[in-house]
Amino acid sequence: MKRIRSSVFSLLLLVLVSASAFAQTRRVSGRITVEGSGEPIVAASVNLVGTSVGTYTDDQGRFSLNVPDGPATLRVRRIGYTQKTIAVPAGATDANVSLARDVLQLETQVVTGTATTVSSVNAANAVTVISGEKLNRTPAQTIDYALQGKIPGAVVTQNSGAPGGGVQVQLRGVSTINSSFLPLYVIDGVIVDNSSIANGINAITEAGGGNFPSTQDQRVNRTADINPNDIESIQVLKGPSASSIYGSRGTNGVIIITTKQGQAGRTQLDLTQRFGTARISNKIGERCFGSGQEYADWVADTAVAAIASEIAAYNAATTKCHDYEQELYGEHPFNYQTIGSLRGATTGGTNYFVSGLVQHDGGLQLNDNYNKQSLRVNLGQKLGSRLNIRANTELIHSLAERGVSGNDNTGINPYTTFSQTPSFIDLRKQPDGTYPVGLAVVNNNNPFQNTELVKTPENVFRLLGSGLASYNLVSQDRQTLDFTVSGGIDAYNDQTRVISPATAYIEQVNALPGTLVNGNANIFTGNIGANFTHRLIRNAFTATTSAGIGQVRRNSDILSNTGRGVFPGVTNVASATQIFTTETQDITKSQSIFGQEEFLTMGERLLLTAGVNGERTSNNGDPKKYYVYPKFSGSYRVPVPVAKIDELKLRLAYGRAGNQPTSGKFTFLTNLIEEGVTGFRASTILGFPGIKPETASEIEGGLDLTLFGGRAVINATQFRKQIDNLILSAAVAPSTGFSSQAINGGQIVNHGTELGLEMTPIRTDRLSWISGTTYSSSKGKVTQLPVPGFIPASGSFGSRFGNAFVQQGQLISVIQAVNGCTALNAAGTSCPSANRVLTFVGNSLPDYEVGFTNDFTFGSFRLGSLVDWRKGGLGVNLTNDYFYGSGLAKDTALAAAQLSAFAKGTDVWLEHNGFVKIREITLGYDLPASMASRLFQGHAQNARIELSGRNLKTWTRYTGLDPEVSNFGNQSLGRFQDVTPYPPSRQFYFTIGTTF
Amino acid sequence: MKRYTTIVLAATALVAAGCKDNPVANPIDAPTVDALSGALTRVTLQQLATGVLAQDRTSADAFAYLFESGIFARDVYRIDASEPRYVQETLGGNPDPGSFTGGGAWAGYYTAIRAGNNLILALPTTSTAAFSTAEINATRGFFRTMKALDYWRVIEMHDSVGATIQTDDANAVTDIKCKATVLTYIAALLDSANADFTAAGGTTKVPFTMPSGFTAFGRDYSLVSNLVKFNRGLKGKIDFYRGLDRTNPTPALFATAITELTQALGGAAAGAVPKADFTKGPYYVFVPGGSENTPNIISDSKVGLNPLVGDSVQAGDTRGSKIVARTALAGFGLSTSITYVGAVASTANQAAPLGILRDEELVLLRAQAYNEAGQLANAILDINDVRTSYGLAPVAPVDKTSAINAILYEKRYSLLFEGPQRLNDLREYKRLNATYLRKETATDPFNAAIPIARAELNARGVTTNPACTP
Repeated sequence: MKRIRSSVFSLLLLVLVSASAFAQTRRVSGRITVEGSGEPIVAASVNLVGTSVGTYTDDQGRFSLNVPDGPATLRVRRIGYTQKTIAVPAGATDANVSLARDVLQLETQVVTGTATTVSSVNAANAVTVISGEKLNRTPAQTIDYALQGKIPGAVVTQNSGAPGGGVQVQLRGVSTINSSFLPLYVIDGVIVDNSSIANGINAITEAGGGNFPSTQDQRVNRTADINPNDIESIQVLKGPSASSIYGSRGTNGVIIITTKQGQAGRTQLDLTQRFGTARISNKIGERCFGSGQEYADWVADTAVAAIASEIAAYNAATTKCHDYEQELYGEHPFNYQTIGSLRGATTGGTNYFVSGLVQHDGGLQLNDNYNKQSLRVNLGQKLGSRLNIRANTELIHSLAERGVSGNDNTGINPYTTFSQTPSFIDLRKQPDGTYPVGLAVVNNNNPFQNTELVKTPENVFRLLGSGLASYNLVSQDRQTLDFTVSGGIDAYNDQTRVISPATAYIEQVNALPGTLVNGNANIFTGNIGANFTHRLIRNAFTATTSAGIGQVRRNSDILSNTGRGVFPGVTNVASATQIFTTETQDITKSQSIFGQEEFLTMGERLLLTAGVNGERTSNNGDPKKYYVYPKFSGSYRVPVPVAKIDELKLRLAYGRAGNQPTSGKFTFLTNLIEEGVTGFRASTILGFPGIKPETASEIEGGLDLTLFGGRAVINATQFRKQIDNLILSAAVAPSTGFSSQAINGGQIVNHGTELGLEMTPIRTDRLSWISGTTYSSSKGKVTQLPVPGFIPASGSFGSRFGNAFVQQGQLISVIQAVNGCTALNAAGTSCPSANRVLTFVGNSLPDYEVGFTNDFTFGSFRLGSLVDWRKGGLGVNLTNDYFYGSGLAKDTALAAAQLSAFAKGTDVWLEHNGFVKIREITLGYDLPASMASRLFQGHAQNARIELSGRNLKTWTRYTGLDPEVSNFGNQSLGRFQDVTPYPPSRQFYFTIGTTF
Repeated sequence: MKRYTTIVLAATALVAAGCKDNPVANPIDAPTVDALSGALTRVTLQQLATGVLAQDRTSADAFAYLFESGIFARDVYRIDASEPRYVQETLGGNPDPGSFTGGGAWAGYYTAIRAGNNLILALPTTSTAAFSTAEINATRGFFRTMKALDYWRVIEMHDSVGATIQTDDANAVTDIKCKATVLTYIAALLDSANADFTAAGGTTKVPFTMPSGFTAFGRDYSLVSNLVKFNRGLKGKIDFYRGLDRTNPTPALFATAITELTQALGGAAAGAVPKADFTKGPYYVFVPGGSENTPNIISDSKVGLNPLVGDSVQAGDTRGSKIVARTALAGFGLSTSITYVGAVASTANQAAPLGILRDEELVLLRAQAYNEAGQLANAILDINDVRTSYGLAPVAPVDKTSAINAILYEKRYSLLFEGPQRLNDLREYKRLNATYLRKETATDPFNAAIPIARAELNARGVTTNPACTP
């Protein structure tokens, strides 16, 4: 602590070194415009190189600046344009500059610290920057869908086709087994919670058994609430070499979202209206019975009378081959998004961005839907010349009805019923309003009835708020010192309900028909920080020093009540005959203190950065101990005397981040109640009082190459991420009376490569083609494991199907399964369990992922596309087992062969789940200005229309509904289980957008 | 300079604030083990005792004990379209150690054993202000008996696979011992418990409130004299199966078993146990719903009885009322339209108590022991004691084998859905095979035991059941 304190003081002393002021000055003024069109560029920054002197252009693109006598150099910058440096000869007072559009995003500002950024030209890390425009090119239900295929190094996978989200983002491979495994999301400085709250359908599916919510509830991760339309840009810090400033939340990378701010210039009102629909994009199919005899053979009755009645039942049916999937999931919902925003600034120094969203997406199943409304107000105010304050707030409401899908043990899942129902039986609602019951209702379930009766609404109200005050303490020509205080809150209430009335067939077999779940989660995350940033500008270098402190606090309280035996129509859980309650609470507090030095020298060619972040957390065994997360990086723009090469940058970065324990510190007492008397026994989970954060050290190196006058950019990055002190839930031999204990130990090493090629093969006034290709691969290996191999807690269906397994020397993402047999039984029909070969069958994660984006602009038309190719990876398709086992698979011969092979010890459920998907296609047309103006009676500046499609086509060898599926939702390991999921959909949108 | 002073002050304040704020957050969901350290009081003993008994109940109220043993013994079907393994890994193939069919009857019992052992270790050795020496002995004897019961539950489902014997060291992973060794250990544990009871004296009561399952079914087991009956009954059962052991029989133990079972039956001679006593014994009492929520899981709509159970019941047997019709249940090559009366899904059945070791079982065990010891006449007396109580005419088996047949009939219907009794008998009488029984599916392997749970194998770094050590 002492050391950190003294370094802060020495930093402050540095400030006291004063810089000389200029002796003589002149006024230089000019206008900044867009290259080609000549339109003014508003709010471009104009800086005198080698000083902190600078200004911004006004709404006419004009600026005026005092510069010293003698030759001077000005740098002009604006996000979205390529920066330019111009020489102003001695005595000159005019400087007009035109900037080219930065179509390949060669120059953006990249986050390096809490309050510091650096130009991407110098950045030492491979930070991916996604503009709001690129993010929202094709509409998506939630932000995570919109990220698919756009970040090299990220595997973004959707868990099912149910409306409203449930998407996992994984940056640079698997970095943990038991701790947080999702990237940290930060919006305008607010740490945003991305929990997945289970809605409690387990009470009716019993997928995980019991009465309480489970990991098989087809959960939605709560970044789904973010309104993607408000986003100005997203920066993705992919690993600890960039994210060490986020301490024990940084291991999995950080997704930093900046929302739009008001800006000077004309007040701009944008209105966008989207209409869309969706349709089922893949089906399993089912055996169709060709004759009554075939059906009778399937039933396998031997009594003559029974056979006759079966044949008669078949013959009586009007439709012999129902396509149940089409009948149930055949909705063509009417979807819409209405987006409006107002953006501007007042002469009093206030800038504002106000936006609203109303969104509705229907599901493929009747009565499923996803609805979201949001209102955002971002305000900025300049007070005097030194103080800037900003306040951003967003209020969000979302409501999702996602139906019932995924694993179940009650038979409620539609696919469970379909897989047991002979094709000639009509399950649909009959003209008299009833639903068929009897033979059809296997396990007493009619999924068509459930769409009408069973409700699963999840209601989220969320408030995001952030505030920032920045005070300029010192502003001299050669140095500045800023003091910034910022903070934010993310508070939400997630209310989940499951209403399964006693009138539903599925309830009628229960001892107490009628199930109600009423869940309530309140999650609060707050963070606050303060820091100083000092910039010292010398002729030879620019040094940026920052230091500060931060605090994060998170409170969560998740309560769920399940009622059994509820009168139909009643939604008050207190009226149930039996009530079951579960609650989980948590408080986490963290504090950090950090310092960082960035040193830019050699004519802005060499950037060196060093930083350190000390952090402590209440979840650690010793909550008062600071853990240190250092980082070092360097980048060098190599002078290349070759005409075709504009820029060559070499970069190397090292950083360490942590992953704080989420539990495991204490041995709790488990209370067991017997006849109302409370008893205690030690939990079967042994506590570990010395638990500490996992630490991830990453070294990343690469080069960035800009060619042909900015027409092509190549990025290449290699990384090695090593995670130590893994928090392991080590299996303790159950014969000791305990099942597991948290320990720190073991190591995972991830290696990976990320390549990017962006180019503009065609760039003419009428036609342009921008093409981007990204490649990323990553493999993680368990290099040390101080415990015997174990099945992680993520959930699986046993080794006969395939489960994740953590084993030293194996890939972290390996699948273990029974596959093979040392000797079949005497009859040669099955493999005795002792002879089954339990083995590692392959990697569940893809070998590599490639994204292709192509944007063509032809006059007023624009065509954009994104193709996502994932090579390799394995999934466990249990959905097939449902149809194989019942003899109702579409291909009965294949099913019989597969079951026979399964009996002989072959894991027939493992399948390659690589794919090629057309993620996005958008065809846009900008209406001529005259037409736009006429349409909106002279008020509109411009208008455009678009036709878009998402997930239009998939090519895969996977025989299930969707190779991306995960029955257990987001998981660090073992997300490859496919159990009767919600089918995937193709989505179509028509958009009209106008700017007033 | 004034501004710089302000900066330095502000920075100092920030750093100080950062270092001073309290980073500790205490757990708010549950107490930790620290809460129970220190000398036992009557309150904490009650909590620990309830913890052991509730854990024991939970681990018995499980698939392996209540369903799988019955499926193996050909009495029970569980057919569930969503879960083929209820058939595929019981009657159609072998239980997989990684799934619920092959992973049960293990961890839960060992947790109960550990909890019981922790309680025994926490007991004072001499009298304290809270407990008399007699109370301490009674408590120790009771929990040693419960430990023995849980060990028996493990070994009866794992049979020749073996089981481990815990030591006081929570971290010690001990060898897998063979069945004979485990049974010898259980027998010794029961004898040491009996010695505790002797030291306590028959009129002593345990210093905590027992659940009603131990007090309300004809006998109050909080009284040491009754605990002795429970202990001797269990010891007689163990000794009978040690005597009968199909691979390593010890016929001398049949006489021991007869003595112990007779003691457990209050000294009643062969054929002299009144019907009214049949239901006496310790029970599990279940409380569905609420925060306790421990329903008897037999109440399960996907359960049926093997049609043979219905076909074989003799005319006039009043135990036939345990078999009721149900809607047809079919799948995976099995079908039935009957079920156990307690399996019908209802709140009443969820609350139905489950016998742990009833006198009726002890009578039939004694009949078995008599039969094996060559005392056919006494065996017949005990058989007919049960038989005639259910409206059937007496039988007169002429030899050991026909007596076995008669006993198996009585045990099947007397103890239907009360645990693995029939599985134990079929296995030890060497009748769990196609010579005696129908194959339920084409690939029926006649499973006799479940393997060691995958989690245990993994923790030991092996992939298949290690050979048990003697």
